Amino acid sequence: MNMIVCCKQVLDPEAAPSTFKLDAANNRMVQPPEIKPVVNPYDEQAVEAALRIKDKDKAANKITIISLGNNLARDVVKKPLSMGADELILLEDPAFEGGDSFAVASALAAAIKKVGQFDLIFCGRQESEWDDGQVGSGLAELLGIPSVTIAKKAEVMDGGKVKVERIVADGYQVLEVSTPALITVSNELGEARYATLKGIMAASKKQPVVWKPADIGMDAGKVGAAARKSKIVKLFQPVKEGKCDIVSADSPAEAASLLAQKLRENKVI
Amino acid sequence: MDFDLTEEQNLTRQAVRDFAENEIAPIAHELDEKEEFSADLTRRMAELGLLGCFVPEKYGGSNMGYISYIIAVEELARIDGSQAATIAAGNSLGIGPIYYFGSEKQKKEWLPRLCAGEILAGFGLTEPEAGSDAGSSKTRAERKGHNWIINGSKIFITNSACSMTGVVVVQAVTGAQADGKPEISCIIVPANASGFTAKAMKGKMMWRASNTGELFFDNCTVPAGNLLGKQGDGFHQMLSTLDGGRLSIAAMGLGGAQGAFDVALEYANKRIQFGRPISSFQVNAFKLADMAIEIELARNLLYKACWLREKGRTFTKEAAMAKLYCSEVMHRCVHHAVQLHGGYGLMKDFRVERLYRDQRLLEIGEGTSEIQRIVIARHIGVAGRAI
Ligand SMILES: Cc1cc2nc3c(=O)[nH]c(=O)nc-3n(C[C@H](O)[C@H](O)[C@H](O)COP(=O)(O)OP(=O)(O)OC[C@H]3O[C@@H](n4cnc5c(N)ncnc54)[C@H](O)[C@@H]3O)c2cc1C
Repeated sequence: MNMIVCCKQVLDPEAAPSTFKLDAANNRMVQPPEIKPVVNPYDEQAVEAALRIKDKDKAANKITIISLGNNLARDVVKKPLSMGADELILLEDPAFEGGDSFAVASALAAAIKKVGQFDLIFCGRQESEWDDGQVGSGLAELLGIPSVTIAKKAEVMDGGKVKVERIVADGYQVLEVSTPALITVSNELGEARYATLKGIMAASKKQPVVWKPADIGMDAGKVGAAARKSKIVKLFQPVKEGKCDIVSADSPAEAASLLAQKLRENKVI
Repeated sequence: MDFDLTEEQNLTRQAVRDFAENEIAPIAHELDEKEEFSADLTRRMAELGLLGCFVPEKYGGSNMGYISYIIAVEELARIDGSQAATIAAGNSLGIGPIYYFGSEKQKKEWLPRLCAGEILAGFGLTEPEAGSDAGSSKTRAERKGHNWIINGSKIFITNSACSMTGVVVVQAVTGAQADGKPEISCIIVPANASGFTAKAMKGKMMWRASNTGELFFDNCTVPAGNLLGKQGDGFHQMLSTLDGGRLSIAAMGLGGAQGAFDVALEYANKRIQFGRPISSFQVNAFKLADMAIEIELARNLLYKACWLREKGRTFTKEAAMAKLYCSEVMHRCVHHAVQLHGGYGLMKDFRVERLYRDQRLLEIGEGTSEIQRIVIARHIGVAGRAI
């Protein structure tokens, strides 16, 4: 099975809130220099989903990672290789910057068409910077293949179809999908494996393939920010305000009624 | 000059940090309380590739550079001294001598299982009456027919008396040299050798989740082929093993100092007294600044010593300096870190309390700070032979 996993380099969502900076004039988030970016956590789980399929038969399954961005840190984007993926393609160019879900999905679709052979594409359910969660479905649409979102398990069955367990509000659905297909993976899949030191050694010997817009048949003037379908009107950090009223009373019953009164006054209930 | 770490080194740091924070941190306190060595955790560290870091893949190792190995130990020690000790001793003292001095047959026999984390190896040098004066071993090995017969005892031997111990390399007197001085050799003793017993030592102040054993050899019999390298090479093998071991102890000092700094900074920024975070009082900010400076210096010194080793140059002096300096930097850092925590720093619920205790060994194990100063003095041209 040829599998492709799309992995995005993002600002570390675990970093202290005080390190988060915006470039309000350009409606952008800024990568703080002292904090290392990471692979989007849901994307790591997408890699894990592919690796679990590969674990069953290492030789018969191949995993190619595609990451899109600019100035990608090699020791970040190579992490999926050190977890056990086989190849890494970087769509890396200043022109790719500033895209929305549509721009990203379009570039990924063009790259995947260039790769040619694929049976399964995995994406994380959403990325941690914008949380849009649209690239996966958009990519499937552009490639004209079926997609299953928010999966917690994906298994290849005899005959080549894929059985997917998909999270719903009160449980999960079990679906069967024929390949080629795209699956977006949710955290319910379970923890992604650690990179092993042997994997790191293997990864450090592999050179990623770098494609520019022209390499995937796209015009550098029509990717990234230039390809946006949506426009950010205003990006700002809301000021966090905390106000605390202590309701004190002699008895719990009295306290409860005073509290209810306050909540009603403030139109909470 | 290039101060940038390589991709391999950065990925190693991140991978070991993730593992230490997610898998070790949640259970370190409990293992310390119960004074319990965890075979399960050790095996999982081996799965990650933490045993056999510098051993080629053909023997089951990860084949990394020495700096990557040291970064791995540093990241473990940032979270927990005991697990860092298991890995540092497992590599530098357990695997190291067999890999560097063993015959091809011995390497094939032991390394794959050691690197896979099926078994651990100990390195038995210290004796009740031979500590700093490691050359004065009383343990003797006599050649009888096709066997070595070993008699004597060892004390304080890391990884030597737990469920995973598979083998110990033991330093013993095997005869006398031409000048009458004892001839010292190292011998590989499988854990199931007849006449060999190992007893776990309990009641440690620090490294409580690391296994420390006392070894007894009572006509212990092993095949003649278990001699490590050449007869009489033991003292040289021991000195060379300790050079490497000192780098790993230095890594524990550096990692522990970083851990102490990290928890102290976080705590001091959050703790409010007199209406302000305590870190904003200059006296406290200066403590943090001093810690940061010393950690930076310690890291540069240690990485340089490792770099010398990677380049195949002599590094004995630098290893002794790094071991001494990093362990003393951690001493000052845990002291400040506990002070910044106030009363809470004395409570076992806070990681800084364990860091404080775990630091103490670093100025004693693998050559005390006094012995490091002797080694350094011998390398800087002091008159006579420093002792
Ligand atoms: C937890 C733990 C794990 C250990 N693991 C191992 C292991 O795996 N393998 C192993 O072989 N050993 C191991 N050791 C032993 C360790 O290396 C020794 O404890 C150490 O070398 C010091 O020896 P000693 O304890 O006998 O102290 P001593 O040598 O008795 O020293 C006592 C004091 O005298 C000072 N002193 C001694 N000689 C001199 C001198 N010439 N000049 C100035 N001062 C001097 C020392 O610096 C020290 O302060 C371990 C120890 C501990 C506590």
